Amino acid sequence: MLDKPASTLRIRERLLESERLMEETGCYDGITELELRNQDPLKFETLHTKLRAYCVSAREMARRISASPGVREVGEMVVAIYTPEGDAIALSNGIMVHVHTMSRFIKWMIRNGYEDNPCIRDGDIFANNDAFIGTVQVPDVMDVVPIFHSGKLVGWAGAVCHELEAGGITPGGDVALAQERFTEGLFVCAEKVGENDELRRDYVIRCERNLRMPIYWVLDEKAKVASCIDMRESVKALIDEVGLDYWMKISKEFIEEGRRAQLARSRQLTVPGIYRGHTFYGHVTAGKPGYQPLGDPDWLYNMPIEMEITTDGKIIMDFEGTQPWGFHSMNCTPAGMDGGMFVTLTQHMNFEGLVNDGAWMATELKLPKGTWTNPDSEMAATATSWALLLPAYGVFQRLLSRSFIARGFVEEAFVGQVNSPMIEMGGTSQYGTLFGMAHFECAAAGSGALAIKDGLDTAYVGWNPESDMGNIEIWEQNMPMLYIGRSIVPNSGGAGKYRGGCSFLSTWLVSKTDHLRLVTSEHSSRVFDNGGMCGGYPAPTCQKHRAVRNSNIFELAGKGAPLAHHTGTNPHRSELELRLEGEHVTVEGPYITAPHKTGDVFTHSYNGGGGYGDVLERDPVKTAWDVENGFLTKEAAEGVFGIVLDEDADGFPVANLDATKRHRAGMRAERLAKARPVSDWIASQRSRVEAAAFAPEVKKMYASAIKLSPRFTKDFSDFWQVDAKAAFGVE
Amino acid sequence: MSSYSKEVIADLVAGTLPWPQTRRVMSAYKDDDRFFKYVAVLQDRVEWKDPILLPVSDHLFICQSGDERVTKCECGHSFGDYRKNWKLKAHIIVRDTEESLREIYPNSDLPDPEWMEIREFICPECGTLHEVEAAAPGYPIVHDFEPDLEGFYRDWLKKPLGGE
Ligand SMILES: [Zn+2]
Repeated sequence: MLDKPASTLRIRERLLESERLMEETGCYDGITELELRNQDPLKFETLHTKLRAYCVSAREMARRISASPGVREVGEMVVAIYTPEGDAIALSNGIMVHVHTMSRFIKWMIRNGYEDNPCIRDGDIFANNDAFIGTVQVPDVMDVVPIFHSGKLVGWAGAVCHELEAGGITPGGDVALAQERFTEGLFVCAEKVGENDELRRDYVIRCERNLRMPIYWVLDEKAKVASCIDMRESVKALIDEVGLDYWMKISKEFIEEGRRAQLARSRQLTVPGIYRGHTFYGHVTAGKPGYQPLGDPDWLYNMPIEMEITTDGKIIMDFEGTQPWGFHSMNCTPAGMDGGMFVTLTQHMNFEGLVNDGAWMATELKLPKGTWTNPDSEMAATATSWALLLPAYGVFQRLLSRSFIARGFVEEAFVGQVNSPMIEMGGTSQYGTLFGMAHFECAAAGSGALAIKDGLDTAYVGWNPESDMGNIEIWEQNMPMLYIGRSIVPNSGGAGKYRGGCSFLSTWLVSKTDHLRLVTSEHSSRVFDNGGMCGGYPAPTCQKHRAVRNSNIFELAGKGAPLAHHTGTNPHRSELELRLEGEHVTVEGPYITAPHKTGDVFTHSYNGGGGYGDVLERDPVKTAWDVENGFLTKEAAEGVFGIVLDEDADGFPVANLDATKRHRAGMRAERLAKARPVSDWIASQRSRVEAAAFAPEVKKMYASAIKLSPRFTKDFSDFWQVDAKAAFGVE
Repeated sequence: MSSYSKEVIADLVAGTLPWPQTRRVMSAYKDDDRFFKYVAVLQDRVEWKDPILLPVSDHLFICQSGDERVTKCECGHSFGDYRKNWKLKAHIIVRDTEESLREIYPNSDLPDPEWMEIREFICPECGTLHEVEAAAPGYPIVHDFEPDLEGFYRDWLKKPLGGE
């Protein structure tokens, strides 16, 4: 055991030493033995519980300071306590993805000589929202304060809020139109924004003059600083109690313990081996106003993932074969990829014990340089990196779930997260003032199915395990739109023995404004960006936007005539078209158009999750309940699941078990008759592949993957028995 | 540490364990004797005798079949050597037209079949739908899982591999 009392080294040297020790011993900071834990396990656990309590209570207190409905209503915030080197010891609930991105931010400052200039002093406040330094996207603004005790740097306290407005080229935070860094909004690059526990006036002025809705950002800053100070003072009091040397030692042991626990949990819950999966994302912007001609307007990305679980329990995720970064807002930095890994692990494996950065240390990400996962240009935009990050980590969840199923922990298998498309807006508010806002009701998507039950309806997102859509009344206070509907979307979960959770759709009437910009992002076009498992189908996640300009809704309301409250279940003719007069628009992909005004109607739907298992095994009784409650249509029950429903005396659906059995036997026979050997199908496709007879976007996708990845090229060539490079004209 | 009866594990796997009890299983410390109880539950479920070595999907199992280790469907159909991709020995239905996609998604906006197709991998004997891939046309079929079977038994389970 290396015995290190509070180090006298400067923090940069200490960080390098810590990394070297990890390299040499394989253990965090060279801690090969958990000495303090062995001495007194009860004290060890109690202290960690205290640290966690500091974090949770600091976050709850801060949420009351914030003015933003994102933070107050749906809890878009997380806080954590770090070692002097920037490794997370303990964290709160909330958007846990940022616990590790903040770690990157602290380390970046240390590596870049911040100790000398601008200096790290007691009472300083540092902020950052630069993803190449350490965050996911521009609205994720983080604040950290150093913790000093007896004149020594003994740790950091940090807090992140997702800002609802970042001052980019389009309003909101997930700046959909950003194609380069320079249009993403207000950047704060590892900047000292406060001293003596107070935010600098000039920093606040900069925020006030560069944001559409500065009150959110500025009050969130105050909330974050308050929570950091709260945690700092708690930690200092704790050190007074246990002693500085003890603190320095135990804080490191917590992390090493977290690392070991993660490895042990892999060995307990999974099966070693290689797991593979993929998903896709489509983007369609041709002809939309505002897009600069920097790259292809329409494109298709593949996201293959190979996960290895080694016999020592390490999880290695490899993104080789995916697409290059591009001139769009969906690129992701390694910090964001790390964050995605961290938040997924905290939900699937670290549901007990000491949750901290140790878990992340027991994993490895292979992010090929030049791809969207690791752009080789720091000018790449990352404002909507979730668009690719969420589908990718949805694949990770399915790969992990395969391992849980193999091991017998079926109750942990979970088809996973989906993208949760966001609507953002700006212009003139209902109060006649300038405004801008991201609408965060998207924090309540449908989840993928579980291996033993249906997915959660409108109650899960990968990035914030405390899913919440917020109250309609609160959202209406903050935007010039009124809800005329918020409803479950039938069949929006993937079909299966257990269906994916359903999503919801909101229908709004634009009200009391003559200038409302509406922008959406994270909506895959032309392809589903999720998947099912073990025979379950993907959720239908390429919905279009439907809106009506200059509608006659006020006239209808005046007459007491029925209005449209959702888009309905006819994909060819929506309820809007059926009930409202006006200029009907259907938009594929990101919604970027001219401003709306009072009397317009707009709809936006979120995503459901993938299904699990064979549809023909679905419970008919549960299905009747689903149809009665609007989660499935009768049409789907019969056509997709083979479940025949009758009506009872009151007109409610009841399953006809005998008819269902007969109908399903017919469907199974039809399946067997229709299906042909895979080898025949491969043979029939080969000439198409050799001729690269695909849509231009598909062809481009293959060419890009082949250019970047020798492994993809080899796998492709071996599978089809073609020369992939020749087929796609790659040198 | 937790431990459950074989009956409880059987209900859990079948999705019939009452939710409050399932919740408790999810929240409790994991039962370290789960794997072999799980395999025993599955072995009871199948009508054939080959010992199951590792489940790999809802109705697919790697089992010891004489001297060979093969991937087997619950109905008894063998997809051959477990190290090879079982999908290549399966039957397939590909949905690459609006009409065929509409059968599964009657009320939603559909993907563009030029950009994405749905591939259904089916047991040629019993018609069970074992796996669905949503992929761009021309995308190689994925080999979902290559377990380290030897390493798993040797290092993690500390039990001999291969039946009795
Ligand atoms: Zn079969």
